[in-house]
Amino acid sequence: MGKIKRGVSLYSYQQTQFFNELDLEGQIKEIGTNLFGADGIEMLDEMSLRQYPNPPEEFFEQWFGWMEKYGTTPVTMDVFHDVLQFRDHVMSYSESADRLKNDIRLAKKLGFKNVRTLATTPVEIMIEALPVAEELDIRLGKEIHAPIPIHGQYVQEIVDYCKETGTKHLGLVPDMGIFAFRPSEVALDWYVRQGAKKESCDLVVQLCMDNYTGKSNELNEIDLSLYSAGNVESLFHRYLKEDKAPEDLVAAFKKMKQLIIDNVPDFSTIDFEVMAQALLLSRTKPSDLEEILPYIINIHGKFYNMSEIPGKPGQYQDIAIDYEGPIAFLKEIGWEGYINSEYEGQRRFQDRGVEDLMSEIDQVRKHQEMLKRLIGE
Amino acid sequence: MFDNFLIRKDSLKNDVDANGNVVGFQFAARNANYRGVFLSLHNGYYIKVDGVEYPRELQTFEINGKEPRDFEEIKTAVWEHWDYDDEGIIHVAKPGGLASGKHTIDFQQSVLAAYGYMPTDEEWVKNPPVPGSGAGSDKTKNIVSYELELQK
Repeated sequence: MGKIKRGVSLYSYQQTQFFNELDLEGQIKEIGTNLFGADGIEMLDEMSLRQYPNPPEEFFEQWFGWMEKYGTTPVTMDVFHDVLQFRDHVMSYSESADRLKNDIRLAKKLGFKNVRTLATTPVEIMIEALPVAEELDIRLGKEIHAPIPIHGQYVQEIVDYCKETGTKHLGLVPDMGIFAFRPSEVALDWYVRQGAKKESCDLVVQLCMDNYTGKSNELNEIDLSLYSAGNVESLFHRYLKEDKAPEDLVAAFKKMKQLIIDNVPDFSTIDFEVMAQALLLSRTKPSDLEEILPYIINIHGKFYNMSEIPGKPGQYQDIAIDYEGPIAFLKEIGWEGYINSEYEGQRRFQDRGVEDLMSEIDQVRKHQEMLKRLIGE
Repeated sequence: MFDNFLIRKDSLKNDVDANGNVVGFQFAARNANYRGVFLSLHNGYYIKVDGVEYPRELQTFEINGKEPRDFEEIKTAVWEHWDYDDEGIIHVAKPGGLASGKHTIDFQQSVLAAYGYMPTDEEWVKNPPVPGSGAGSDKTKNIVSYELELQK
């Protein structure tokens, strides 16, 4: 039987780094020392590296020194795709592929096995960069991030290309957020503090839960399979402000707005944004993983808030995301890759004082408790 | 994100030129994201102090140990990176500077970073958004208000 391995994406420590509480070495030490056997490191190049894209030579030696000292191993490097970098024109596919090739070379130099691109990076760009990945034996994975589903164009075109060519260096990085079935309680609390009505929060949870349990079908007709969550949120924000949105999004945007108008007395604009949280769910089932199994490079252990399971001291869960189902499925089928904790709830505490910030270090430890327990180590 | 922490609380002070004239004010800010970006993507700020707006044309930005640059010049820094850990200094031209005491600063950063291609790309090459509309501010969509004391 295969063994699922545990790691951490340094994304989880974005706030800790912002406030200079742990530097890169401190983050790696925390992973190697305090997470009961986790050893995988996932790193965002533009977050962790100084002088990206050309870190100083002495850094590389230091980096491998840390890996040895703390018993950790580089798993995946996450890269970005800022298409307005040149400002006088939109970056072409070829220019994007050149940027990606450089990132692949950088990842290799740091000992990573995989490079993760954004969900929205066109497959043509990945294919153009693929020869470099093959030459350096780096697997290039597209993130599958909510609201993108497993049954959708972005996944299918990767799977098709792998089947046609037999390449072993292209694949997918599913984010556990695709198993989220309701908005996180910390996101909703944040919206209430920004002026949203409690009724809107109840309404969006109800809609999501009815959909999850099969009582309602409302969300199933909505297809946001070609959009990243961050982009859906900013496009919705723009829709509310300027009444403009891409054509394939208008119906869904309208529907969320109307649900608030029909059900919430004294609503304001922010209530629409609460309702739009329902659009960020992928509505994925654990067994959906089966068809993409050979192409999974690693998994992002996305979570929003770990809380103690009632009646089970010392055991934690995220009430918005199904972990039990997918992990049980992956165990049964013998999958052997890394699940890397990716904490994303910190931003929901940053609207108040320093004293109200959530500890990322503590949240990741709780998430690793859950992973270890569910994996059955 | 980092809404209340983007401006360093003790960083507001007046700018004095070589001849001792007070020519404006400055404060320190961080990138409203979980990562750094190429400096060229940095598109300026919405800044309103005690009800008075100071448009991008009055702003310069100091980063990476270089002299303050205006946003037309920043736009050309296409391979220079603004690292996540680093604080930049925003300078605003205002002859006489700010009076001593407390000031209310309404603030929004505009950085044209997104998740890949967006419907606004071509439009933003031709006409970059004016900071303050929320465009280019997807991690901190709303204008944030700070109460800051002018430092000596």
